[in-house]
Formats: sequence, structure tokens, C-alpha cells
Amino acid sequence: MADPRAHSPITELNHLDELLRQCVQCGLCLPHCATWLATGNEVQSPRGRLLLLGEMIRSSGTETDTNATPNAFLQAFDECIGCRACETACPSGVPFSLLEYGQLRAAEIPPHRLDLPVPAVPGAVLRRMDQPGFLEFLSQVAGLVRGVLTLVAGKTWRRRLDRGPAGTGRLVRLLGSLPTSPRSDAELVRMLDGLCGRETQRRNGLPHDVALGASDNPSAGPRVAFFRGCANSGLLSDTSRRFRDLLSASGCRLEEPAAQDCCGALATHTGRPGRSADLRRRNRDVFAGALNEGTVIVAEAAGCSHELKEYGDEFRTGVVDAVVLLAGLDLPPLGSVPLRVAYHDPCHARHGQGIVDEPRMLLTAIPGLEIVEPIEPEVCCGSGGAWGLRYPELSDELGRRKAADLAATGADLVVTSNPGCLGQIADGLRVIAPDVPILPLTDLLWYAVLIRIDSTRS
Amino acid sequence: MPGQERNNPKAFLSGLREILGDDGLLTDDAARFVYSRDASHLTLGRPLAVALPRDESQLRRVVGLCRTVGVPVVCRGTGTGLSGGAVPGHGALVVGTSRLRDLGPVDSIQRRVRVQPGVLNDGVSRHASPSGLHFAPDPSSQSAASIGGNIAENAGGPHCLRHGVTLQHLVSLDWSDSAGRAFNTGRAVPAERGLDLVSLLCGSEGTLGLVTSADLKLVVDPAEVATLLAFFPDLEDAAGAVVGLLGEGLAPVAVEMVDQAMLLAVEEAFGFGFPTDVAVAMIIEFAGQPEAVAEDSGRAGGFMERHGASEVRRAADDSERDELWKCRKKAFGAVGRLAPNYVTMDVVVPLGELPGLVREIQVIKVQHGVEIATTFHAGDGNLHPGVHYDERDPDQTRRAHAAADAIIRAALDRDGSVTGEHGVGIEKLHVLPWQLDRETARLQRGIKDIFDPDKILNPGKLHPPADADFAALKPVPAEIDFHWANLTVSAPADASLAQLQQTALERGFWIPVGALAGDEGMGLGRGTTVGNLVAELLTGPALCPAGTARDFLLELWAETGDGRLFHAGAPVFKNVAGYDLVHMLCGSGRVWAQPRAVTFQLRPVPESLGYWRFQLPSDEQQEVTLLERLVEYLTGRHGSLGGPMMIVDAGTGSVVVLIPGRSRPWDLGQIGEDLANLLGTPAEHIELPFNRATEILKAELIPGWALNSSDWTFLCRLPDQEPGAGFRPAGMGRLIWQSTPRLIWSPDPETSHPGWHADRFYSGGRVQPPVAPAEGVPFDFLIRMKTLFDPSAALETPEWMEGRDG
Repeated sequence: MADPRAHSPITELNHLDELLRQCVQCGLCLPHCATWLATGNEVQSPRGRLLLLGEMIRSSGTETDTNATPNAFLQAFDECIGCRACETACPSGVPFSLLEYGQLRAAEIPPHRLDLPVPAVPGAVLRRMDQPGFLEFLSQVAGLVRGVLTLVAGKTWRRRLDRGPAGTGRLVRLLGSLPTSPRSDAELVRMLDGLCGRETQRRNGLPHDVALGASDNPSAGPRVAFFRGCANSGLLSDTSRRFRDLLSASGCRLEEPAAQDCCGALATHTGRPGRSADLRRRNRDVFAGALNEGTVIVAEAAGCSHELKEYGDEFRTGVVDAVVLLAGLDLPPLGSVPLRVAYHDPCHARHGQGIVDEPRMLLTAIPGLEIVEPIEPEVCCGSGGAWGLRYPELSDELGRRKAADLAATGADLVVTSNPGCLGQIADGLRVIAPDVPILPLTDLLWYAVLIRIDSTRS
Repeated sequence: MPGQERNNPKAFLSGLREILGDDGLLTDDAARFVYSRDASHLTLGRPLAVALPRDESQLRRVVGLCRTVGVPVVCRGTGTGLSGGAVPGHGALVVGTSRLRDLGPVDSIQRRVRVQPGVLNDGVSRHASPSGLHFAPDPSSQSAASIGGNIAENAGGPHCLRHGVTLQHLVSLDWSDSAGRAFNTGRAVPAERGLDLVSLLCGSEGTLGLVTSADLKLVVDPAEVATLLAFFPDLEDAAGAVVGLLGEGLAPVAVEMVDQAMLLAVEEAFGFGFPTDVAVAMIIEFAGQPEAVAEDSGRAGGFMERHGASEVRRAADDSERDELWKCRKKAFGAVGRLAPNYVTMDVVVPLGELPGLVREIQVIKVQHGVEIATTFHAGDGNLHPGVHYDERDPDQTRRAHAAADAIIRAALDRDGSVTGEHGVGIEKLHVLPWQLDRETARLQRGIKDIFDPDKILNPGKLHPPADADFAALKPVPAEIDFHWANLTVSAPADASLAQLQQTALERGFWIPVGALAGDEGMGLGRGTTVGNLVAELLTGPALCPAGTARDFLLELWAETGDGRLFHAGAPVFKNVAGYDLVHMLCGSGRVWAQPRAVTFQLRPVPESLGYWRFQLPSDEQQEVTLLERLVEYLTGRHGSLGGPMMIVDAGTGSVVVLIPGRSRPWDLGQIGEDLANLLGTPAEHIELPFNRATEILKAELIPGWALNSSDWTFLCRLPDQEPGAGFRPAGMGRLIWQSTPRLIWSPDPETSHPGWHADRFYSGGRVQPPVAPAEGVPFDFLIRMKTLFDPSAALETPEWMEGRDG
């Protein structure tokens, strides 16, 4: 199966022009676009970008020549996070592939032609962002620094350092927005017990394999091929482990093809289409067998599941996002979690895959839990993978906007299902509402199962 | 000199940058291209730059700088307008309000909120929703349209049928004139008399000033909403059914229609599962008290079935209702699926003309060989026919535009208006002269010259050229003329208001400025003329008004000081064709112009009037507490057809409570129980048919002074006063309290009370001229307007105006 993007008819300008004519310029996309909300600048809005694309096509006649296009035009596409909220909002059905086309054009040009607020992150760092080992290393450094800062400056360290010189602010932000979740099960349990007002001592040091146990009916569930994802395996390996426990406890027969690699999304975002194509090819080979046997491929991060679905038709039907898989499973009985919880929809799930109801169904299934909805659930948190590294100030503003919206619901806890969003919102919450924690949805589910097992034992 | 500096854009831009900072000024190619477009698909040229001020002072300084340099200013909200109002000409400065997004605290007692112009329409309602309130104007673009844009265009929307357009929801405006001077123009007092600049600025499309913040009215979320969906096999039948339904005296909050072509597009886009083999889908919504909503929606459903509907459905819950509304509100965007290009009109006709216009559009469609898909604010007589075409086909393009012009002609032939919601902008410059007479157009240009002498504010918009071929003056009505199908009444200024109201009441309708009877005396029994009502805004204390004359006036013929007759407005429920001279002049006395004739909207009359008289306790403290609780209760019982009121009489120690409503156990019955709980057993209680109430009440039920006093002052609590100071000035023994507009009428000459605004309305049986406007008002503009309308000072000139220079 060839890369659908490389051979997409969208590269044909006539077709582009035809698609562009579907846009009636009504502007209903504006309030859904994170970059417009943050800047108030219509160049940084979906309608603005489509207008620019139309002008690029019409003025060039045959092929969009990146060199002849004014920098400001290309910049507008580089500034698009790619959250696809506009596509969901559009009443005329204008496809996001148009903006994606513009993004690909912008990615072709050398970074020095763009007006980036920070010097580009060194290529050596960017290239390693899809290597779990490197991420693990980063995560440990970040964890250490966060720990020291908390010791020195207290719980509000992030807020305090925010007022420091611009350089430190960016570094702190980088450290602050690396996704994290409690490493040991005991720590996770202690944290959630604390939120729920429960006693913890008895469960200290609980070994994880004892915690959930296997399903009563181990052959009942589907066969599942587990896609690791670099951020999950590098930064959230314990969450990942708990997720697999949850699947086993729900009767899934898990396999984990060893030779799998990054899905390729990061390479695309950082302007390395060649690398991205390589990774796709490798993963397609690795998972082809599983697909032929009717095994579903599950990806834990919404970003990965979205990217894998772009591999081609058989992947579009064979890949399932973790949240959707869980919502369809016969989960072990869940214990009570008497908390107000706000769910943040990752754009790759809500807009990229239309996943809205499933995470809420899962939360509703937890006894005692009350779901609260933010005012702008459809707006991106501003993480955007490598985008956030290119536009840190904008990303920061969006993270805080999102954190404020979530905190205003009165939630005791925020949950989400994508590592990028997890880190970005955690960083925003540290500034806006330091008392509101954020966790991966799967960690909360794991805890609900554990609590129930625990209560039946005692 | 303007010319010189204009040739030096560098200096100008660096001046702007100094005000706005680097981040606030966009000069790159991408910004200049993007901001040259809006939702209208019309273009004029490339702007010089785009300014995005972060606060109101930056905005004013930018405008001031443009004035000194002579650079045109085009104010822009989110560019969702459809008439090209926000499209800049070549070399203009676009001033975007998207960074002015402050939302003030919601005042849930006064039902107000102060917002900056960049706040989105939806955002106001979201903000007010925890207080159980919302902002009523709801254009289909409400999720993206800004409040500033709503004010500039006087935006409407489906629920305007009940609540009125944006103008009716403005308390006051902070605005910058073309020199960057800050003004506040408002109605701190709900019945403030004088030239109403809020009415002038609202809908002026950025050609007179820039709004920097607005004090908005909020309305209470209804306790119950019922939404019906009716399908009709025939379009004309459906339009006829709407006219018939409103003629029955039912008062839905919205009546919307979507025709088959539009229904197909929406179905393709969203797959709601509506039938597509019908000619029309109609949404009818009722809101308010649960029992009333159930009764009315039941009646409406039956009416539709008897008048041609093939099916009537009722939304079972909120999510089904949301789906119905999504079908209507997303229709505009979904037209992108029908054809690459389209012309969308917003013509409006008198209600009774709707079926005829619908028939004529079918003919035009065939004659010009074009495709037309239409959505309707049917209850308002406002429709959006969209003619579809592909601009790559020149012949199709020409035919589409010819068809659009033919539809506009057809609406004007039926006494309609070229634009009900979208505004003139540049799109309708060529058709506006078909509607305006030469004198009205001259006055409109004169107003523009006063407010913007250097013509820097949104030039090239709204005003057709002076030498255009304007319409002839519409004949002045010679006698009272009811148009029952249109729910309007026209009358010469000297017609008796009491006589007009009496005829209307007999048919179950009225102008809800309060009922009057007889031709003698003052107050509740006073007779006056239609012209006086328009000039004076109020009639004095009257029976259960639902608003002032400004709320129901549609059309005005008036004469300037030098005897020139002009005609403003149209007999339609929405009209944004040029400056709103109708509402600007209503209540301005006879200072600027003399009313000659008018057209008013008729509304259904309340079914019954509840009358209660209670004896007040002799202890003064007890009395005060009781009356305050009563006022609180009556404020909550405010209905849209007529407002509750009370008459306090210290002489007899009694209070009379008058509440319009229905003679049902759940309405007036319940109110009676509530009142008894509050005040004890009434000394007297009757329920009477509202349309005969004035005849009956004249007899001994009302204190004599309320009917016969020849002196009346109205009082209104000034904003920003400490709460808890009581509902009336201390020691006022005789008063009439009215919920809408919220005023107290006193027959006693002593009227000065700290914290209260007092307007000596009648003295010795004569209406007094309006009092001097509050500070913050541009006196120079008011005086130059006087010179424009009354160059030889032939009309009355209030004292405060004398000796001031324009």
C-alpha cells in the first residue's frame, strides 16, 4: 500500500481549487480555531488560511511554487497546529486536507525563511523526539528538575518562574510540559485515594500483577496487537503497563510485535517526509500479519491511532484507539470514585477520529463519578507535538486558556488520552489551578478497577 | 495637511506602531490579503494595514491618528457580515476588535452586562447562563459573529420575533467618534426622551463611530420551551399558515422555514433524517410558563394541521430541539454544497405579503433560469433567498444577479425593504435608492457629514450617490388604516390614539404602550394623538404597557423645520436600510422634526386583567417591606404582552395591583394565591377581559388622582445606586409603579430625589420638552443635527440648547 498522501489527488491544483470553492467564507470556523482565539488575527484562522491558499493557487496558475510565495503566506500554514477543529465545525464540509496541503508546502521551505519566535530547536534534538530511550532520559531529567524546584520554590514554582527572564521561561516550559503520570502504582493509588478522601496505608507497595489479576474468562475478549507509541513508552511507560493490565483483565489476548517503530507523525511534523515514509513502511510490514488474522491494532495515544489510520484502508478499519477499544470491552467491575472529573478531548480523537462519546461512556461507568464539561471542549490545548516547540508563547497561552476552561468546571481531576495534551495541560494547570491534577484516562480506570477488587477483598 | 501625510505611509505606520506595539499592527501581504475579504465575497482593494488594538484607548488613539492623516478606517469584528460592510477600500486601515473581549460581571437584578465589541454573540449568552439569562438576538452566525458587528448591522435572528432586534437590547454604548473622542450614549433611563443616538449608531455600519463597549440587556431563560416542526407539501400554503397563525393572536417566539432546496443541502451535510420530499419544513417555537406553552403549542399544531401541514412533530427533548435548530442555523453554510457561488438576499415584506412574494419568487426563478434555495424568518416576513451560480459561467452569473434584483424589486413593490438584517454595505448601494426618497437620503448624508466631516469612517458604504435615481415620497396616510394581515396600523399624526386602540382591542390586538380610554383628563384615562405618542415616547401612566412607542414604531413620515416632508422606515418588523431615523426621532419631542404619520406594529392583547386591591398596614416600616416584596414579585411576573403595575395610595392606605394574564387556575389563579400569601386577603378582586378593562376601571376602582391628575413626573432609579434603598423615593405616598418600562409615576410636583432621575412629563396638562441630555453626549452633534433638520429654528428649541454652538 502506497503512502496515500504522496499519491493523493489533492496535489492536483484543479482538484484543490474545486475543494476550495466549497468554502463560503462564512467564518463559523473562527471561534473553533485555537490560533485565532489566542491571537485574534484572522491570518491565523482557517478561513484566512484557505483564502491564502486560494490566492497561492490562482496566482501561480499551475503549480504552487514555494519560492515565489510570500513568506507571510507560508508562515500562516506553519502556524496552524493541525487540530482539525475547523473541519468538525465547517457546515460546508470543507476538508482539512486543504490546510494540510498548505502545511506540507510550508514544511518544504527552509526554517530561516519563517519568522519563528524562537531559534529552531536543534535538529539533533528534534530527530531524537521519536526515540523512547531519549525521551525516557529527558523525562528523568525533567522529573528531577521539577522535584528540585518544588522543594525550593514550593507548589507554585511554575507560576513563580513564569515571571523570570524569557529564556528561563522557555526552558521551564519545556520541562513542565513533558507528560508525566505517577510511576509506581502505589504513588498513583495514594494520589487518587487522597483526592477521594480515602485511607491509603494498607495498600502501600501493592505489586501491580496482584492488583488487577487476569480476566475470569481469558478467551472472551478480542485479539489485540499493542502499538506502543514513542511518547507512551518513553515518558509514560508505567501508564502503558497499567493499560495493558486493564486489557488483560478485560479478557483481551494481547500481543506486542517487537519490531514496531514510531508511527511517523513526529517526523511529518518536523518536516522529514522521507523518515515518515520509512517508518510507515516498517510498521506496515510488522503489523500486516496481525491485520490478516483479524487482530485489532490498539494505540494508546490518540495521536498514534490517528496516524496509523492514515496508513491505508485496512489500517483505517483495523486500528482502534485505546478509548474506543475500552468502551467496547467487558471491563472488570469498577469501584466508586467520588470525584468531579473533566475530560479533555485530544484533537486527534475528537476531530481526527470523531471520538466524543466513548471516553464519556467510560467515565459514566465509574460509580460515584460526576462528569463536568468545559465551555470549549472542541478547542485545541495548544500542544501540537513539535508545533509547541516552534511557537512556545502561543502554545503557552493556549495551554493556560485550556487549563482555565477546565478548572472553571470545578473539576477535582482532569483526564485525557494523549501524552502531548497531558503534559501541555499539566503545565497550564500548574499556573492556573495548581491544585487540580491531570491523569491519563486509563490510569483512572485502572484505579477504579483496583478499588473494587480491594473493597471485595476487605 | 491630510493629503501630505497620506503620502508618507511610513511615518503613519510608525505612529500606529507606537500606539499598538509591534504585535498590534499587521502590515504583511498575508494580513492585507485576508483582511480584504469577508463572508460577503465582495472586495474593494487592499488595506494599508490591520490594527488590532488591545484596549479601548488604543482604538481611539488609532482612529484619532487616522483622522489627522486622512486615512480611512474600516472597523471589523469577525468578518461574518454579508453585505461587505467590513470590506476595506484600497489604502484603508482595518481596525479589528477581536482583541477587545472583556466581559463584565452579569447584573442579574438589572439584567445587564457590559461587554467589549470583540466578544462573540454566543459568548455573552454563555457568560450569562449561570444567572439564568441570555442575550436574545441570535443571528445564524451567532457562534462566530461579534457584538460589535451585531451592533453595527443591527443584527436580528429567529428569536427577534418575540424579543426584537439588537437595537432593543442596548442600554448604552461607549463609542469613539471619527476624531477619537470618547462618548457615552445611552438610556440610563428606560424612557429617556431626546434624540436617540443609540438608535442612530446601531445599524450605522461603522460610518458614524466605533463602538468601544456596550451595555447589553439580557432576557430571562424561559421556564419551558416547546418546538414544533411542521412539514408542508406547498410553499405558499405554508406562508399563508404563518400569517394565519399570528393573526389568531398566538405569540410564538420564533417561526422559521426552510424550503426544499435548502432542506436537501442540510440533509446532505448533516443527515438529520428529515423528509426531503416536502416543500417546506417549518419550526414554530413557544417559550415561557409551562402551562401556557403547552396550551399555545397545542393550538398552533392543530392550526397548522388544518392549514395544509402534512405532518407536525414536536421536539421531545432539548437534544431534539438542538437538532431542529441546527438544521436551520447551519443552512447558510451548507449552501457551499449546492454551488460555488451564491447571492443571498435578506428582503423583508409586510407579513401578509409573504405568500404573494413566495409565489413571485417561483416565477422569477423560472423566468431567469436559476436555482434558488431559501430560508425564512417567516414570522418577521424576512426571507433569505439564495440564488446559486458558478462564477466561471458568465451567463449564469449575469442571470443570477438579474434574478436577485428582480426579487428585491418584488419585495419593494409589496411595501417591503431591501434589507432586514444584513445591511446595505456595498452590496445594496445600487438598490437602496429604489426604496429611499430623495429627502431622506439627503438627511442621511447630512448626518454622515456631521459625525464624520472628513469622511474617514468606512467610506463608500451605506450611502448611495447623491445623484442616484431615488424613489418618490411614499404617500402620507390620511386616516387610520389597519392592515390586519400585516399586523400593522398606519395613522396620521392627529389621529386619536384612544380611538385607534379601541378598534384594535376589539379585534384582540393593540399597540402595547398601555391602554387608554376617553378623551378627557390625564393619566390612565387620558386621550392623546398618535403624533404625540411618537414625539413624547409615552402617554403618561397607562394601563399595563409592554414597552414604549420606540419598541413598536415601524415607519414615520415627518416634516423638517423648513417644511420638507420625508419618510423613514417601512411597515415591516425588521429594517436596516440606511440610518434608523424612525427610532432616532421617536421620543425627541418636536425639536428636530414634526411627525406627520406613522405605522405601528400590532401585538396580541392579553386575554384578561387581574385586579386586586389590598389594604396596606398602618405601620410604615411594615408597609415599605410589603411593597418591596410586591415589586420583586411583580418584576418576576413580567410577561411579553403587557406588564404588571400597581397603584399605591397613601390617602386610602391601599394598593391596587393590575396584572395581565389568562383566567386560568395556573395563571391569574396562581397569582391571586401568591398575592394573598404576600398581602393577605384582598379587599376587592375581579378578573376582566383585558380589551374592556379601561371602560370598567374608569368607574370607582381606581383612585381619582390616577385618572385625572394634570401633573405627572416619571422617576427612575439611577444606575450605580446602592441597593436596598427601596423601590421608591422615601415618603412618596401616591404613585403608579410600572414594570415595563420600569418607571414610577408621581402626580406630586415635588420631584427632586437624590439617586433618582426625574422627568417632569406633564405640567398643568401640557407635555414638557425633553430634559437636557446627560453628560457624555456629543452636544455639538445634537446641535448640528438641529441645524440640519431645522435650519431656521422654526421648531421648538429647548432651553438647554440655547446659546450652545454646534
